[in-house]
Amino acid sequence: MTDETNTSIFDNAKQIAVSRRRFLGASAGLVAAAGVLAACGSDDDDASSSTGSGDDGSSTSTTGAESGGGDASGDLAIAKVAAGLEVLAVGTYTAALDAAGSGALGEVPPAVGEFVTTAMGNHQAHLDAWNKVLADAGEAEVTEPNADLKPVVDAEFAKVTDVAGAAMLALMLEEIAAQTYLKVLPTLSSPEAIQLAGSIQVVDQQHQSVLLFALGQYPVPEVFQQTDKAAA
Amino acid sequence: MSIDDRQLIGLIEESQDLQVDALRAAKAGIPDLREIAADRRDARPDPIQIARYNLGRRSLLQRLGLTGGALAARGVLAGGFGAALAGIVARPAAADTALDVQMLQTASSLERLAVATYEAALGLDFIKNGNATVVAFAQTTMSQHNEHKMAFQAQTEALGGKVQDAPNPKFAAVVDEAVPTLKAPLDVVNLAATLEKVATDTYLTDLTMFEDVTSKEIMGSVMGVEAQHLAVLRAVAALLTANMPDLIAVPTDLAALPAAAGSVATPEPFETTEPDLIAEPESGAVK
Repeated sequence: MTDETNTSIFDNAKQIAVSRRRFLGASAGLVAAAGVLAACGSDDDDASSSTGSGDDGSSTSTTGAESGGGDASGDLAIAKVAAGLEVLAVGTYTAALDAAGSGALGEVPPAVGEFVTTAMGNHQAHLDAWNKVLADAGEAEVTEPNADLKPVVDAEFAKVTDVAGAAMLALMLEEIAAQTYLKVLPTLSSPEAIQLAGSIQVVDQQHQSVLLFALGQYPVPEVFQQTDKAAA
Repeated sequence: MSIDDRQLIGLIEESQDLQVDALRAAKAGIPDLREIAADRRDARPDPIQIARYNLGRRSLLQRLGLTGGALAARGVLAGGFGAALAGIVARPAAADTALDVQMLQTASSLERLAVATYEAALGLDFIKNGNATVVAFAQTTMSQHNEHKMAFQAQTEALGGKVQDAPNPKFAAVVDEAVPTLKAPLDVVNLAATLEKVATDTYLTDLTMFEDVTSKEIMGSVMGVEAQHLAVLRAVAALLTANMPDLIAVPTDLAALPAAAGSVATPEPFETTEPDLIAEPESGAVK
């Protein structure tokens, strides 16, 4: 190994160490906010803001809200929390695209731009799916971001000055979302709701791998997915 | 190609530390399951349990609109989750083994097959003498699958079932058929991606059928990691196909990655299950 290569390795390692410290600092507030949400419990139907007024959880539809022998109102409460997280994710990725377009993040690699567009579209599809569950059950659709996490994300986003900073913030949001879905899986009652939450959990985990790879980190860092950052 | 070996090793060591912590946490829950195991010691459901399970299947079929003619029309022809699930739930419950135990045994068999396949791949000259990052990924992923297998086996025992430690026969046949055709890294990556897709889709389907909460938690946790393996393999396959093997590195040259690298890992907004790539609960059950 040459001295030049050694220098490159050490520079990279130092850069990653700095990035990790920045990441941990930025993530602390988000995790704390997610923890507050989790402490509130999934029985808090108003954990996510929703607009308009709707009926109670009773359903005459054939979608996930209807579950033979299960707790449909519990599924709907979780759907609201999930939708609130998805609104937040869509908004954050949209803001990142705007910042990139204005040059505020410096030069944006093509793969990063493509990822942001893809992830934003994925989260919009997730939001639409949860809102369909709510609408089919006669509930109001969620159009506002998670009220507890939004101010923390806004504060962290205000500090972002480059692609790496934006990626680290996105990584934390994806972790919160994926872990939330994993944590609520055993409490969902209908197979359709379980399948929806699980299929989104999978994609949010994959978003993390892409972000970790972009940040120069190992893309599958855990042998078991954790739930310590879950927001429900 | 420049591989930052020391940094990669450091990252892998960090990953292994996390694995140890995670396994410790997973194992911590096992003693709590002894009471459940005592209740379900021989894993043989009583008639009431079987009747309830079959009733649950019919209820699920009805909710999916997959009964009778609808099943024939949609279950056979339609792809995705509905068809896959319909194929599974349309069969009556086996009277010899509880469904939860069957799914855990089948999961163990998939993990066993994955370990064996990665191990065999690491023995191929064009892999072991090829891209160092691919080798490191295969080694780490093999280790993670082994941890998954042990978690499923421990949970099988906790529920009173017999441990499955043989490869899944349905997909072992697929691997056996593919092995003679493995001539280049891309062939291996595609085979590994198939196995990761099988695991992800099987677990996603099983999650809708589990009765035991802890089993559901473990399988959901493992599913999230298999999905990440799949994402990485999709990206690696794309870079190999584009003849850009030098970019398969940690860290990579972010600026040099093609735009498609940002979307190839998640081709759809939802994980779409494919019926042919699901290991039915009985496919890996201990006979």
